[in-house]
Amino acid sequence: MMSEHLCKIDIGDIDLTDQRYQISFSNENIAFLGQSIRETGMIHPPMVRPLNNQYIIVSGFNRIKASIYNKKDTILVYTIKPDADEYQCLLKSITAISFKRQLSQAELIRSIKLLNKFLDEKQMADKSAAIFNMELNAIFIKDLLNIANLPEPALELIHKGNISFKTARRMQFFQQETIKSFLNIFSKIKASNNKQLEIIQYIEEISKRDAISMEVFFQNHEIQKIILNEKSEPLLKTKLIRENLYKLRFPTIFKTRQKVQRKINNLKLGNTIKFVPPENFESQNYSISFNAKNYIEFKANIKTLNNVLENQKLEEVFNQ
Amino acid sequence: MKIHQLFIDNACTRNDEVDYIISKLNIEPQWVDNSQPVYDFINNDSDPILKAKKTLFLTKNRGAVIKECPGTSFYTCCDYTILHTGTFCTMDCSYCILQAYFHPPILQYFTGLETFGQNLEQIFTKNQIFRIGTGEYTDSLIWEKITLQPKFLVEQFATQNNSLLELKTKTTNIESLLDLDHNGKTIIAWSLNTPDVISSEEKGTASLKSRLEAAKRVEAKGYKLAFHFDPMVIYPGCEEQYQKVIHQIFKYVHPENIVWISIGSFRFMPRLKQVIEKRFIDSTICYGEFILGLDNKMRYFKPLRIKLYRAIIETIKEYDPNILVYFCMEDEEVWEKSFGFFPKRVGELGNLLDKSAVRHCGLNSLFL
Ligand code: SF4
Repeated sequence: MMSEHLCKIDIGDIDLTDQRYQISFSNENIAFLGQSIRETGMIHPPMVRPLNNQYIIVSGFNRIKASIYNKKDTILVYTIKPDADEYQCLLKSITAISFKRQLSQAELIRSIKLLNKFLDEKQMADKSAAIFNMELNAIFIKDLLNIANLPEPALELIHKGNISFKTARRMQFFQQETIKSFLNIFSKIKASNNKQLEIIQYIEEISKRDAISMEVFFQNHEIQKIILNEKSEPLLKTKLIRENLYKLRFPTIFKTRQKVQRKINNLKLGNTIKFVPPENFESQNYSISFNAKNYIEFKANIKTLNNVLENQKLEEVFNQ
Repeated sequence: MKIHQLFIDNACTRNDEVDYIISKLNIEPQWVDNSQPVYDFINNDSDPILKAKKTLFLTKNRGAVIKECPGTSFYTCCDYTILHTGTFCTMDCSYCILQAYFHPPILQYFTGLETFGQNLEQIFTKNQIFRIGTGEYTDSLIWEKITLQPKFLVEQFATQNNSLLELKTKTTNIESLLDLDHNGKTIIAWSLNTPDVISSEEKGTASLKSRLEAAKRVEAKGYKLAFHFDPMVIYPGCEEQYQKVIHQIFKYVHPENIVWISIGSFRFMPRLKQVIEKRFIDSTICYGEFILGLDNKMRYFKPLRIKLYRAIIETIKEYDPNILVYFCMEDEEVWEKSFGFFPKRVGELGNLLDKSAVRHCGLNSLFL
């Protein structure tokens, strides 16, 4: 039976470089945590393991950082017996989080990767409730392991929400260089899960269609320009990348839409009248609508429409 | 695709028809009480679809033997009648809808020639023209070499004058049909495509040249012909390639023997894409400019379809303006922009096809 005891140690005796048990991700707002500890004290002391006359952290990486931020020389910790083995320490590290709050996806992936040194998917699935505080099946664990093997900074991007679990799962089938290129794109944009998957799908399909590798595609001048533009915001980059990819994936549809929109704009219907062509031009349902607050506005819209009827360009809108 | 495994439903009577198939295949059959062992056998494989193509299940048709072709309300339908002789196919076209249509697909051959005969007898006594095909859920001639069915059907149709049989194929399996007394009531139809598409997307099918050579041989035996450009695939240079195919047709056969030519571009249920991507990793067929059609199938962007159709129709009409060319599943706008007319009334397209059938196959014009 392993046990820990509570004691005060010098922070200087902790080897901060040893992150073998780190499950959580660095807290960007360490100042907040520092302030909280100052106000309320250390509610959950970190856990450390004595090793080679030093201590290595088992859990509480951010709390220790926050104490350093608070300029503390000593810290109250639980120390694990020196004879505790790696597997036991790792379990401590995971359960210290999983029974306090739900592990994030990135933390779960990291945990599973570390545990895989000791347990296979099936064993992890069997023990999942006890370790992760939730039931996981072996197939899902296998997926997580595959994702865990994606190159850096995949996990970091999952943690930050730049790539979703589904996106990561989709990427595992690509070559390492291709994955890195996707990670580069996703690190610079901010897209929802569906948009991420759409970006991957379009790039994959364009490359296959044009018989080029995705690596060659990533050299695309327009895409590079958007990604490398330091001035534009991630959301704007996302929008521009999606537009560009759509243009490349569906060139005729894109051009037709633009052409028709130009023709509609040329009709000068003003801001109050909406003229909408059929979606994707498959049906023949064009719609026109306007709002009017009163009779005068209503009449003005009708007058505009009557004028447009005389415009020869109107017919062109209906002919692609 | 060679048959590796033969299952026979215990419900099938052991008769000449079944014995003929067993002797031709030369495989020891496994008799089963129902389709479950067949499903289990197929589903155990990493590619059940491919496995299904090598696993023949002789069974009884427990549903309707004759049924109407399922059209949709958004796109014009040709009022075709289906003789349900079997399901699935031994060839392996990437775009084949049957891969996603059945769960999982089973290569079924329905035995019971007498059942077909009885059902057809009821059709033959009606005062109405019927265009009947067997190639809706399978290829019409994949079993020509090992079964008596095509011969039986051709001979049945030869005895009446209100129905034509259309045998639609991508094979060159015509030998047993050549010397039959078909009485003009069977047309042999080939689905055609460009050599590019045939080689990249139609695995296990006959080459374009072989299909046309076969067409020439049956034409010489008095059979009328039909051609189906479906699915047409849009890719760089496709217009020219399809036009070349049309030139080829008329090098081999005479326009007056062509009862109709149908055209339609590739369309697919969205879930087929996954199947294609998984089973045909080199195929780029799904990466065209598709939109979701009104029937919830993916279709090429309409202006692209119209552009290709116009080029094809024009080329066909250069050979013979009287050949009946029609669309399978297209809407009013496409008809108007491609042909300059639209068979608007319910049954109008069917009627055009019936007239062509009457003219070419000697069906009773009083039934029109
Ligand atoms: S020949 Fe027809 S039925 Fe056979 S695989 Fe090809 S598309 Fe499917």
